[in-house]
Amino acid sequence: MIEFKTISYEVVTVGEEFMSDDFLIKPEDVETFAFAVDDHDPWYCEDSPYGGTITHPVLLGNQALFMRHSKYIVPAGLHAKMQYEFLQPIRVGMRVRTHGKLIDKYEKRGRHYMVTEFATRDEESGTVLVRGQFTQMLFPKSGVHEDARKR
Amino acid sequence: MPASAKLLEAGSELPALKKTITQRQIDCYSGVRPQSIHTDVEWAKAKGFPAPLAQALMSTAYVSQMMVAWLGKGFVQGGKISASFIKPVIVGDTLTARAVVKSHEEIGGRPHVTVECWCENQQGVKTLVGSASGFADHLRV
Repeated sequence: MIEFKTISYEVVTVGEEFMSDDFLIKPEDVETFAFAVDDHDPWYCEDSPYGGTITHPVLLGNQALFMRHSKYIVPAGLHAKMQYEFLQPIRVGMRVRTHGKLIDKYEKRGRHYMVTEFATRDEESGTVLVRGQFTQMLFPKSGVHEDARKR
Repeated sequence: MPASAKLLEAGSELPALKKTITQRQIDCYSGVRPQSIHTDVEWAKAKGFPAPLAQALMSTAYVSQMMVAWLGKGFVQGGKISASFIKPVIVGDTLTARAVVKSHEEIGGRPHVTVECWCENQQGVKTLVGSASGFADHLRV
């Protein structure tokens, strides 16, 4: 049983680990993603040099990003940085899962950040498909972020 | 030589992509839920934004689209993106994704290229800045 706490700079710990739920990549997931980003490359919709379709390399970014939602209540946050390394083509029918670790947290100009490294694997073969790291800014307790006022 | 091979020269610009982001696209990308700055108008306003925000990661998909269209397998296996999200993107914004070849070198005997990339909104304000790279031995024509 997981006891969800509201995420904050104070509550997260460097070294703590995260794990996503497993996710079966379905044809409709690729279609939805293609619509969302308006990228209907034939490699994703018809055929590719890999023999059959593959998915957008960035399809699983949200699986990594949302890992912390499996431990914390996240009222809001802003994504500051993202690094991806694409290692293997991702295919429909794969069951995938992302593991991550909080590798740093820091304060800069009065704002709080957390840095997470991640690797997304094909559950069946154990092959790493994508890895990288991302930095997220944690919203202040007031709930309204300074950056919001700049638009 | 395929036209895309000419783009290997430093300073060459990749074909830009223009994307006007709708709420329906944000909904599909992020999943609709209440109390989300991406899909709940009132919640976004409560957090100080004028309208729902597009998820920053959507912009990395535009960079990926440019790189896959150019490098093909050389990006799908061995590609990298490093991006900083420097301004929020609001529903209805029109982003232009751009990339300019910064350098090319050999890695493990394979041609490898790095681009400087960015996205800018309809006001010319940069929202994403960063770099992307991959192997240039499977260029798509």
